Amino acid sequence: MLFNSLEFLLFLPLIFILYWMVFHKNLKAQNILIIIASYIFYGWWDWRFLLLILMSTLVDFFVGQQIYKQQDSGKAKYWLWVSMAFNLGLLGFFKYFNFFVDSFIDMWSIFGYEMKSTWTLRVILPVGISFYTFQTMSYSFDIYFKKLKPTNDLVAFTAFVAFFPQLVAGPIERASNLLHQISNKRVFNFDQASSGIKLMLWGFFKKLVIADALAPIVDDIFQNYSDYPASTLILGVCLFSFQVYGDFSGYTDIALGTAKLLGVELMSNFKFPNFSRNVAEYWQRWHISLSTWFRHYLYIPLGGNRVGKLLSIRNITIIFVVSGFWHGANWTFIFWGALHALFYIPVFLMGRNRIYADNVIAENSWLPSLKEIGQVLLTFALVTFSRIFFRSPTLTDSFAYINKIIEDFSYAPYVHPMGYRMIDFYVLIALFTFYEYLIRKDERNPFKFKSRYVRFFVYSVLILLMLLFYDDGVNRSFIYFQF
Amino acid sequence: MKKFILKCLVYVFLILLTLEGFVRLLHLYTEDPPRYIDEDGVEKRVPGSSGYAVTGNRNQNFSEFRINEEGFNSKNEFNPTAQDYEVALIGDSFIEGFHQDYYISTGEKVEEQTKDISVYEYGYAGYDLANQVHLIHAYKEQFELIDKIVIYLNYESDLSRGEYSPNYARIKMLNSTLFKIRDNIKLLAYGSKIGILEPFKRLAQGKAFREPQNGYQENEVKLSQEEIDAQELKRLNNFKSLVTLYGFDKEKTVILLDSRKTADSFLRYCKAENIEVLDFAPNFKASKKSTTLIYDHHWNEHGRELIAKTIANYIKENP
Repeated sequence: MLFNSLEFLLFLPLIFILYWMVFHKNLKAQNILIIIASYIFYGWWDWRFLLLILMSTLVDFFVGQQIYKQQDSGKAKYWLWVSMAFNLGLLGFFKYFNFFVDSFIDMWSIFGYEMKSTWTLRVILPVGISFYTFQTMSYSFDIYFKKLKPTNDLVAFTAFVAFFPQLVAGPIERASNLLHQISNKRVFNFDQASSGIKLMLWGFFKKLVIADALAPIVDDIFQNYSDYPASTLILGVCLFSFQVYGDFSGYTDIALGTAKLLGVELMSNFKFPNFSRNVAEYWQRWHISLSTWFRHYLYIPLGGNRVGKLLSIRNITIIFVVSGFWHGANWTFIFWGALHALFYIPVFLMGRNRIYADNVIAENSWLPSLKEIGQVLLTFALVTFSRIFFRSPTLTDSFAYINKIIEDFSYAPYVHPMGYRMIDFYVLIALFTFYEYLIRKDERNPFKFKSRYVRFFVYSVLILLMLLFYDDGVNRSFIYFQF
Repeated sequence: MKKFILKCLVYVFLILLTLEGFVRLLHLYTEDPPRYIDEDGVEKRVPGSSGYAVTGNRNQNFSEFRINEEGFNSKNEFNPTAQDYEVALIGDSFIEGFHQDYYISTGEKVEEQTKDISVYEYGYAGYDLANQVHLIHAYKEQFELIDKIVIYLNYESDLSRGEYSPNYARIKMLNSTLFKIRDNIKLLAYGSKIGILEPFKRLAQGKAFREPQNGYQENEVKLSQEEIDAQELKRLNNFKSLVTLYGFDKEKTVILLDSRKTADSFLRYCKAENIEVLDFAPNFKASKKSTTLIYDHHWNEHGRELIAKTIANYIKENP
């Protein structure tokens, strides 16, 4: 089920009413409702894959208890490997099997051996598999690293794994945050619920107006890049930066808002990454739950930055490449990850990777300094450049796209594929960026105007913009569902 | 909890009210002048209406219309006389011209390019050839005074029936309470225009949850040659039937069409029967500029200019 669908518009109020008016006195009943709702939400797409979620849930529930029971660290590690083997096995089969087979065949073809691809399978990638497998693995990891005690409440654990607001595209929650909340009684809180509605509104705006309005333009430019001059190709990838941000952060805001309506606080996944002053800051602001996951369960176990410069560089490279690979079974994502490692390592070597961790652009002033503007523009340019690889279907296309920018370095006005005025979109992006700048200090409160009249006006304008940019021909699915 | 739900409902109501205000203020909605069927069985607009037709979410095309005393969108009133030279231009939405201001219509452009001629535009969205020849038949006295009749024929869609019958069901539907509510609440009219109400419509029809999530597109059905021949034959027979039923004054009637979208068999038939055809395809093909609106298949300013030129040249050559 999509957040931006009529089904969800009917589904959510129904669940909300049942949750707070019918089952509010019994925590277990509330959690069972979460499980049923989550399974309906997921099964709406394809009920057959519910079995995978259920298996992942049962395996990690059992493994978690086994890890905790073991006095011998070797045995605990053995059970951790069981969890990893199962979850990574699921991922490997459904997401990466064909990639490995094809890459193997391609490798042999380099040496002149032509092989027929008889091993590739027609496998459908289950929506959100990369998200929920990582979430269940984090539970086993936390128990193994003794940061968490396993739960004996299978209902709460099942609700934790399947919690529908964040099931298919995150944030990837750690059990210490989400399971803890699900295991404890929730009380309806007016302010929390109303802040949830506001976040949802902001998320819908980002998805329906920013992402969906830009999608046809980006698709057109990336599909026909060989026909366009450099100016259009640069425009295409810049707009893709806004599209993917609007799409994914919009999803996250709706997820956070929905969870708030159910009395649950999810972690922030985006903190205005477009205002990052270097690539390190960008990764502290973009898809935070994934970066945190890799930091806790891969980077730190590898030694992090306490192992000398050279090994730290190796560790950074590993987490960026793996992170790229997490996004999809395609060399484009691996290259994208590697490119980010390349951007990150100089920042790390200069010791500037944590300097912006606790502050935002123009922290104590209205306007950013010229230096900050330059830093933001440079970071945006680097990140946007890397997105050519993220968006292109193959590495060959990525390089051809870049090559076309260099070879045909000229300007021509771009005409929207549907003939719409492009100025509308430029103004929209400019206003969106300006508004995000205004609210840059608090990603969880996008409407912090004191006057209720101003707030009301802003809500109305956002909904009006959703109508003004609504396009019923656009594929309304979320980009990160494919991961 | 109850306070929260109540507050949400109040907010929803107030926001809808504000949006209604925005939609009215920015004139985002389109106006569709009311339709009716007169005592002669002719479908047309209620005389005297005026307003603005709007295309696109963001007023991408905004044009003024004026329904004259005869019930058609035109600057002219239709009062043909034996002394003056009048041309009737009959057709569907392309001739009705809600995509342009009524005072710069195709007919107006023909008048500019010719001398002492009045063009009467009998345009109505949804007209096919049955509507058109029936109109001429029903308003016989008026058309006897008109010197030239140009019928715009969209060959692929205008020959699907061999006899005219007024579409009372459509008029009834458009005059129903539901449609009146939609037309009066401008937010609804706007939502309907941009397609945002489609899921709700499907829900009302019980189809909401049966739509494929991926939006699979069905393969285009390719007709066999036999099927194509049968279709062409049916169109030709419908044409013959309409001509027999309502008459066709070959002396002063010409069919305006696009030969690129018209079957050769039909063009050959017209030639054999001495039915004059005015083909605008050569002018459109030669045009370097686009002839249709970008987000709509109707003719744009340039396209209308070319159509007017085609008609004006014909009138000059065949007074």
